[in-house]
Amino acid sequence: MNERTLLHRQVHPSFCQDGRISSQAFRPTPKDHSLLSVYDGDLIGAENAWIHFTRILRFSSLGVVAVTVEECLDKNLAVRSDPEPFLEHAVIDFSGFTKAEVERKAKQLKSVAENRGWLYLEAAASSPAAGDRA
Amino acid sequence: MYQVEFLKPRLVGLRFAGHAIPLEFLKDLAALEGLIIEVSKWQFLQEHPDRRRTHGLSQGVELRLTGVEAGSAIANISLFLGPVGAPERQRYLEAARGRVFEAIRAATNKSRITDHLPESLLGYFDQFGRGLREDESIELTAPDDPLPVRLTKESRRKLVLAAADVRQFTEETTIRGAIPEADQDKETFEVLTSEGRKIKAPLHPQHAETILEAFINYKKGARVLLKGIGRFNRQGRLEALDSVDHVASLDPRDIPARLDELKILKEGWLDGRLGKAPEPASVDWLRAAFEANYPEDLALPYLYPTAEGGIQAEWTLGKTEISLDIDLYARQGSWHSLDLDSLDDVDKCLDLDDLDSWVWLADQIRGGASTP
Repeated sequence: MNERTLLHRQVHPSFCQDGRISSQAFRPTPKDHSLLSVYDGDLIGAENAWIHFTRILRFSSLGVVAVTVEECLDKNLAVRSDPEPFLEHAVIDFSGFTKAEVERKAKQLKSVAENRGWLYLEAAASSPAAGDRA
Repeated sequence: MYQVEFLKPRLVGLRFAGHAIPLEFLKDLAALEGLIIEVSKWQFLQEHPDRRRTHGLSQGVELRLTGVEAGSAIANISLFLGPVGAPERQRYLEAARGRVFEAIRAATNKSRITDHLPESLLGYFDQFGRGLREDESIELTAPDDPLPVRLTKESRRKLVLAAADVRQFTEETTIRGAIPEADQDKETFEVLTSEGRKIKAPLHPQHAETILEAFINYKKGARVLLKGIGRFNRQGRLEALDSVDHVASLDPRDIPARLDELKILKEGWLDGRLGKAPEPASVDWLRAAFEANYPEDLALPYLYPTAEGGIQAEWTLGKTEISLDIDLYARQGSWHSLDLDSLDDVDKCLDLDDLDSWVWLADQIRGGASTP
């Protein structure tokens, strides 16, 4: 993992409306203990990450967007590998920030990821705006 | 022509404020004439069991709207009769009116409706009051019966369904959904609601363009709003649309349509173990709050569920990202706006039961959300 490594983030279908992603996709839930799960882009591509997430872990995902390690470090968010659940697993660490700071960083990451566009989308027709960027 | 004051229905509800009756409601009043006349015929045959015909009882009988008074709208309805046998015919029509009043009273008081009207005539209530909305009622008084009876949406349903063999009733209804099927030959289409039900409806020529456009764009998420006469089963479940009066294409961010989708989320919606389902009654509160307080000229928000069972509204205005994390139980929203260039942000807690909060929110969105 280096600063240019892409960190793939799965987007739950409910977190996308009319092609726009909610900032919640980049904000850990209270049960995540301030750690946002991502896939290490040096170890797995976007499509395979989606296949692993939906078919092996059997979770729901509309598709994959990404931020780089550098984009996280710029926002004082630590990134590290966490291979315990599976080899390609990594986390973006939001520990130590207030709720408002977490919200600010989530919005920034979401914006960066949206500008990069979908790296994998399950059904392009279900998300017209994403089709423009893919 | 013989004329006598007969009924004074008082229409109660916001729609009837200002001493006015919407034209669309006049057909509900017209149905009252048919009901009264049929009950009078029944009354005559009850009193004359040896007769099979009512001997012109209803000939030349008309109920006419002769005026509208203030005080929510009060319709003055007079009985017009041809001169032949007028007094006797008036007696039967007034008796019929009395029975209709008692049947409505029984529906309100939860006593037996069929003590006053036979099941065979209750179907006429399917036409009378069909346009009533939840907050509306028709109060009926007569010159010799000043104690009003009140017909509401609920009591009307009881009257129609008091006939044991009635399986369905009709009501004005509004639904939102996608159009996955349309048959131009049969002139029908189907609406797919957010609950996943398919409702069949007639394809009227005046609506064909909008319906077919939504059908073509079905996979792109196109949805429509339909208003018309719905056919419901005894449990109140919509089964079909008998007619469609109004069709409109919905904005992809239509708030009621999106909230309908979020309302049916199940516990564990977020990856099976997470994701508290929003409580349906609370979502209904939010829908009403937006309808009452969110100005129509403002950009519609994107709406998403939260893992905690709330709703998050979001806007992107230029370089400003805004979120309103809505706690549906506390009816409060945590507002956060961020200028992505300057990184200036604003935090505020809003009481969403307070109109001032909505005014502040609207000002923020109009101004591009750059000021605290």
